[in-house]
Amino acid sequence: MKYIATVADKEYTIEIVDDHHLSVNGKLYTVDFESVSGQPVYSLIADGKSHEAYVAAVDDHWQVLLRGHLFPVVVENEREKRLRSAAGGGVVESGEFNLKAPMPGLIVAIPVTEGQDVIKGQVLLILESMKMQNELKSPRDGKVQRIKVKAGESVEQKQTLLTLH
Amino acid sequence: MFKKVLIANRGEIAVRIIRACRELGIETVAVYSEADRSALHVRYADEAYLLGPAPSRESYLRADKIIGVARKSGADAIHPGYGFLAERDDFATACEEAGIAFIGPKASSIAAMGDKMEARATVIAAGVPVVPGTEDVGNLSNEDLLSKAPQIGFPLLIKATAGGGGKGMREVKSLEEMPQLLTSARREAESAFGDGNVYLEKLVEGARHIEFQILADKHGNVIHLGERECSLQRRHQKLLEEAPSAALDDDLRARMGTVAVKAAQAVDYVNAGTIEFLLDKDNNYYFLEMNTRLQVEHPVTEMVTGIDIVKEQIRIARGRTLSYRQEDVKFNGHAIECRINAEDPYNNFMPSTGRITHSLLPTGPGVRVDTGVYPGFEITPFYDPMIAKLIVWGETRAQAILRMRRALEEYRIVGVRTNIPFHQTLMDSHRFMGGQYDTRFVEERFSMDEVDEFREDITEVAAMLAALVAHRETEKSAQIVNRNERDTSNWKWVGRWERMHR
Repeated sequence: MKYIATVADKEYTIEIVDDHHLSVNGKLYTVDFESVSGQPVYSLIADGKSHEAYVAAVDDHWQVLLRGHLFPVVVENEREKRLRSAAGGGVVESGEFNLKAPMPGLIVAIPVTEGQDVIKGQVLLILESMKMQNELKSPRDGKVQRIKVKAGESVEQKQTLLTLH
Repeated sequence: MFKKVLIANRGEIAVRIIRACRELGIETVAVYSEADRSALHVRYADEAYLLGPAPSRESYLRADKIIGVARKSGADAIHPGYGFLAERDDFATACEEAGIAFIGPKASSIAAMGDKMEARATVIAAGVPVVPGTEDVGNLSNEDLLSKAPQIGFPLLIKATAGGGGKGMREVKSLEEMPQLLTSARREAESAFGDGNVYLEKLVEGARHIEFQILADKHGNVIHLGERECSLQRRHQKLLEEAPSAALDDDLRARMGTVAVKAAQAVDYVNAGTIEFLLDKDNNYYFLEMNTRLQVEHPVTEMVTGIDIVKEQIRIARGRTLSYRQEDVKFNGHAIECRINAEDPYNNFMPSTGRITHSLLPTGPGVRVDTGVYPGFEITPFYDPMIAKLIVWGETRAQAILRMRRALEEYRIVGVRTNIPFHQTLMDSHRFMGGQYDTRFVEERFSMDEVDEFREDITEVAAMLAALVAHRETEKSAQIVNRNERDTSNWKWVGRWERMHR
């Protein structure tokens, strides 16, 4: 199985040969790979060098926490890679944006109103969690379409708080 | 000697106090909220009593219930820890009235130092230098503050009169932005302390935050245990503390220590307390405030002096004299403490909640971990995000940094995001290694991407790991789909299976 892993604009072609061998850009490694007691923590011994990392899937990429540094890694097989380069990429900056609670907490204040135009970086909502007031800001310019919560309300993680159009 | 001590707190500090009591042969009583039924302090204490629902206001801040539990359990003393009721003079008074010893200062000292304006006035009278700012005590309106601001000069700080921990604090660069900042400072102070009063103080630029640990007994003996360097902060929350400070020499330490003792004496202080100073580039120091409680960062002082501050607190509360005179206090080596918070350093330090599924603590020479969590414990949004303190000791500062690097690398917590990568990046920063930092360092001159020139081979390892995990996930999902697809009919398969088990 062949994969293309992209880390900070660097591309690695990784072929998993069998359970104990893989090649990176054509260089063959003898590897021993396992998860540590069923956790998303992985131990990799590659040509005798021992590495340990926390690896978790986030949206469209993998986060690898290795030696205190976080590496976002995009892993694709050859077909996905071809599809993506054909589509040309490019992020759509319009449409609806749902502001979700990044953590459970208490809504302290909502300094915007429905129908209001907001700019990127403007504070949409103040959420108190773990004794800290966190300002949730607008990721782009837009118009506040719906506010789904009230000040003083407790919210769950990932609950939609307001919608931006 | 006390027979039984109630610990009116939770988390690592409750565990820390229970440990001191255990070593002294004192029985312990824990109190807990509904969210903390399985917390470590509940599991470690001899007795445990439920206070109420998770929000602090209905549990750890219920002074009446806590005193009720003390009475019921027959505790003869209460240790408040830090935060919650630790700096509430009415709680200290209520303990006294109930005939229960409060392991901390007198209510009058808490009140005098708790009101920041009154504290300033008191220490000024005792000849202690303070940061220039609003002098009059009392409720100042926004109009008063706006008219006084230009005399103090910009930049300045708005601070909460009842404040602490950076809550209700705002930095003001100009008069134009001040009205808006006053509103948000008052709002935050009101929600944190139930008191929206604020005052102004000149912002000392390039300042270090240096604090002195004080111990005072009921017989008039007051000593200091040297300083802690607490300049590494973010949004006025300390992240790392060390002792001694790279900025102090023996002479300055002795002078500041003497002033710290004087400030404590000005309010007739008893028990453990901390005098906070700002130290500017020219080694001018100003009294900032006094914390009338045990500090989060007390272990760094314990590591360099060998003095158990919590045990000394208990001794003082029993009315005994201090175990040490000033000349007995010797400093040995260097200690660093990293506060491990459930915060994501890659996402603007956003608090992270969830269940800790895996935790491996660093151990070995010169390492101490004070924590209240364990695998299986749930980090809730109700309390402080600090889940552990990692403290190391080394013969020199350089050795302590190397040891801290090693310990941080050993520390594994899975389930919630932590700021361990932040501390690791900090340990690698040249400014930190050189001891060249002030209170602005983390916010203005530090970046998580700073050390971006990774060695090629590490990036490659990251790519390998991600590909291996992705491959494993793909295989796993393929297996789940294939599970029902046997190469023979299910009836034939069952027949074979039954024959096999005959």
